[in-house]
Amino acid sequence: MNIDKIREDFQILKKELNEKPIVYLDSACVTLKPKQVIDALNKYYNEFPACGERSNHKLGKRVTEEVEKSREVVKKFINARKSNEIIFTKNTTEGINLILNSIELKKGDIILTSDKEHNSILLPVQLLKNKGIEHRIFKFGDINDFKSKLDKDIKLIVTAHISNLDGTINPIEEIINLSHKNKSLILVDAAQSILHVKINVKKMDIDFLAFSGHKIFGPSGTGVLYGKYDLLNKLKPFIFGGGTVKDSTYEDYVIENIPQRFEAGLQDYAGIIGLGEAIKYFQGLGIEGVEDYIEDLNKIITQEFLKLGIKILGEEDYKKRKGIISFNIKGINNKEIAEILNQNNIFIRAGMHCVHSWFNSNKIDGSARISLSVYNTEEDCRKVIEEIKKIKSLI
Amino acid sequence: MICLIALVVFGILGIFSATHRKIAFEAFNCVFRKATLRKCNSDLDKRLKSQIVAKIMRKNPKTARLVYRYFEVFSWIFTIIMIVSLIYVAIGGYNYYLYGNCNGPNQEGFCIFDPLGENVKYSNVQEATCSTDSESEKTLTLNSVDTNLFPQINKGAENQVFFIGCYACEYTRKAYPEIRKLSLREDTNFIFAHLPVKDGTLFISNVVNCVAEIDVEKILPLNDILFGMDTNSLNEKDNLFDAVERVGLNKTEIEACAMLNKTSELSQKQFDEIKKTGVYGTPTVFINSEAIVGPKPFRVYRRDLK
Repeated sequence: MNIDKIREDFQILKKELNEKPIVYLDSACVTLKPKQVIDALNKYYNEFPACGERSNHKLGKRVTEEVEKSREVVKKFINARKSNEIIFTKNTTEGINLILNSIELKKGDIILTSDKEHNSILLPVQLLKNKGIEHRIFKFGDINDFKSKLDKDIKLIVTAHISNLDGTINPIEEIINLSHKNKSLILVDAAQSILHVKINVKKMDIDFLAFSGHKIFGPSGTGVLYGKYDLLNKLKPFIFGGGTVKDSTYEDYVIENIPQRFEAGLQDYAGIIGLGEAIKYFQGLGIEGVEDYIEDLNKIITQEFLKLGIKILGEEDYKKRKGIISFNIKGINNKEIAEILNQNNIFIRAGMHCVHSWFNSNKIDGSARISLSVYNTEEDCRKVIEEIKKIKSLI
Repeated sequence: MICLIALVVFGILGIFSATHRKIAFEAFNCVFRKATLRKCNSDLDKRLKSQIVAKIMRKNPKTARLVYRYFEVFSWIFTIIMIVSLIYVAIGGYNYYLYGNCNGPNQEGFCIFDPLGENVKYSNVQEATCSTDSESEKTLTLNSVDTNLFPQINKGAENQVFFIGCYACEYTRKAYPEIRKLSLREDTNFIFAHLPVKDGTLFISNVVNCVAEIDVEKILPLNDILFGMDTNSLNEKDNLFDAVERVGLNKTEIEACAMLNKTSELSQKQFDEIKKTGVYGTPTVFINSEAIVGPKPFRVYRRDLK
């Protein structure tokens, strides 16, 4: 991989803050955007900034055409059967909420999640308790624990493929197989895995899958929800409005086809078009190459951190963590680590990473999190290691 | 403790900037929580600590380590210094209000509210008066001074303002409008004692004495004109007599009076009486026998009078 060439696409990396280059290590939150994506956004606003799907003038038709092209790109990317299995959302959170609020659940049904789920899963599931839906928890990554928690009342399993907390990997294919044997549906949170693992929804037999565009070089505020067509057809949309119905009277309405019935209101057309461009960009890089490259960078940081005696959360083996090094230094608060690095233009995240439940139950006051992407370099890794050494020497 | 400092600093900056206001609210929340024995949950303290340490770390890692380890101690020290400073600022502000300088009566030290020391400056007249007394307001006195020798307005009033100055002196000119305002607003016996410290200005005393002899009420309008004139013009007798004419008196009559020996003798006597006060600078204002040297804001004179 020609990293220098890739870095050329990310304009922000050419900029300096306080006369120092930036080292961006927060890609698990939001990836940087290549100029191809920014150009696609600008193209919409400059060339056809109109209303898609409902306006039949030339500009409107062009928008519809471009949006459908993006849908086709996403379909191919995750290998969905049909493009109308792809629903555009704001982000992973919206996709998860859409499923949890649209799927038919009755009192006594159980939803199974892991103990390391993002608040975007945990909170909507907790809210369903008001409807008499039970919530059961298995240990993330532990297939035996997962098996032990299965029973016939489990209607839906919602879990992350890769943890945003520490980058550890759930044995998702085994989980899917076991879920289906148990006659349970599964919703996979692919927010982190979408950049690190090749997802093939058909081959993996995934029922529902949600991910965000902004974690795969796409515009912020874009996301995708995939669902098997038959399953989507059974869902009862919970947000209605413009674009979700074919017709309506004062008493009734005729619902739109899938996926439009789930895309209420005017969509972020520029974002959707940009997301399509981001996925094409990512595919152009070669997914396997990206995976290997990020693993190499992960190895550099992990090995040095272990030598320094730094506590890495989750698996110590870098091969068992995808692009994330979540760590703590004894005696220094994680937010202090992030702020000192911030002062040196090294940007990482600190805190509980929206997985408060896990940190609270383990009585850990958060962690500092380095997350890598394809535009990071070995030099970036060396810089952060050097700074971490200095920070460690403070105590 | 750093949050308390942040609250004060960002609270002030927050008056002008919304960004700083947000930090000030965060600091307030942190201080409030700590004051109610709860943990500060804003992370502001951590952010500030890290930012400070990161800056020091670039220059001197050893110092950074020291600051990091004993940050709370340093915070306490700075907080105490800040509180002490605030107390001093408050006292300074109080003194400034009362005495026109931060350091209390009869002090000349640096004052942040009057950084150029405009309120404690005066024109030194020790050479002219041949005085060797120390320059202290405490040594100034009106005892044994015959104030009746000087022109007096509103004689017999409850209060007395005895204003020693020279028409050509910069600080007397600065103080004059305030003293004039004071004498008009309050029931005061106003006495202006001209101290002719500049060459060629003794004759002004003669003119003033002659004006007082004819109509003492003309002293104030005459002073207004003389203090408004260019200092170089004061040496020209014609200018003085023009001023006399402007206040409605006969120029020839005053000129003749000013040339008389007895008038010169009176002026000399007045000068000798002024020397008895121990005056070392102009303006010197005795308000009911309490001396104030140098020009002060009106409120200081007024408060002293009351």
